[in-house]
Amino acid sequence: MANELRFLVVDDFSTMRRIVRNLLKESGYTEADEAEDGVAALQKLRNSNFDFVVSDINMPNMNGFQLLMEIKKDEKLKHIPVLMVTAEARKEDIVLAAQQGAAGYIVKPFTKATLEDKVSLILTKMGLK
Amino acid sequence: MQSINPTPAVSITVPPDIHQSIGMLTRQLHDSLNGLGLTDKVKGWAGELPDAKSRLSYIARLTGEAAEKVLNRVDQAKAQHDHIAAETRRIGVLIVKDPVAAVAKGHVMNFLTDVEQSTKQIDQHLTEIMMAQDFHDLTGQVIAKVVNLAANIEEQLLQLLIQTAPADAVVKASAPVAEYQPALAGPVVNPAGNPDVVTGQSEVDDLLASLGF
Repeated sequence: MANELRFLVVDDFSTMRRIVRNLLKESGYTEADEAEDGVAALQKLRNSNFDFVVSDINMPNMNGFQLLMEIKKDEKLKHIPVLMVTAEARKEDIVLAAQQGAAGYIVKPFTKATLEDKVSLILTKMGLK
Repeated sequence: MQSINPTPAVSITVPPDIHQSIGMLTRQLHDSLNGLGLTDKVKGWAGELPDAKSRLSYIARLTGEAAEKVLNRVDQAKAQHDHIAAETRRIGVLIVKDPVAAVAKGHVMNFLTDVEQSTKQIDQHLTEIMMAQDFHDLTGQVIAKVVNLAANIEEQLLQLLIQTAPADAVVKASAPVAEYQPALAGPVVNPAGNPDVVTGQSEVDDLLASLGF
């Protein structure tokens, strides 16, 4: 079942989008699309079905916090878990993300094992694994 | 003991009016900065420039570490690749010489196990090489901050130049540089001793757990 889940990877750096997509693929999650900022991500989320969002925070146009807020106030999207993967290491940002409904928070640079663990934990909590 | 001669090797004769001119220019600059309300901004730059310096050091460190990591992993992967190539040649000779014995004595099976282990390890090296590319994202964010600082200083200096230029030397200024908008904090270049930031994933997990998330 987990292999059929659709991921949306949101990051303004194409290198990071490729890294995250490749890591997800290595972990068995082969269905993944990508978006370069919050605006593009919201558009994709509203036009297609996704089960999981992995998002950066510091992005142009719409940052990760704004994207998270938009997802959580949208009745059709709010069930989708959002895992923040970011270089923002301030404690206040981590707490803010959790308060706004982020399912997890990973600080860059991270390891393959960390991403695997967090995704797996979130999916287990949601009964998707 | 040799005595030290306090006289400079080259004596430069400075006309007294030069000192006066420098003094006047300094006074003019000081008054202009005050008049334009830029004194505080200049003080701000003074604080931000060392920060920019440490950000550039961070970039140098991260790119250096990434290059080192990639080269090490490539060396290891190439060694394993060479090993597989040599073993393939060796087992080929054994099979050509006596195919039945090559199988019966376990040479073929050992070779297959060896190949499987080596390819697993090579795959790990490739993953690590891929992960090392994350420096592009982290340094990119830091570079953007330094560029913003430089653009900000350039804009303020340009304004100062325009407003203090003699009336007959006024030229049309080009379009102003976009207003400096501080982004989120971005990568922490100096985490040591800063209680407001986390230094790794375990601290993130501990923080969230302590808050019940």
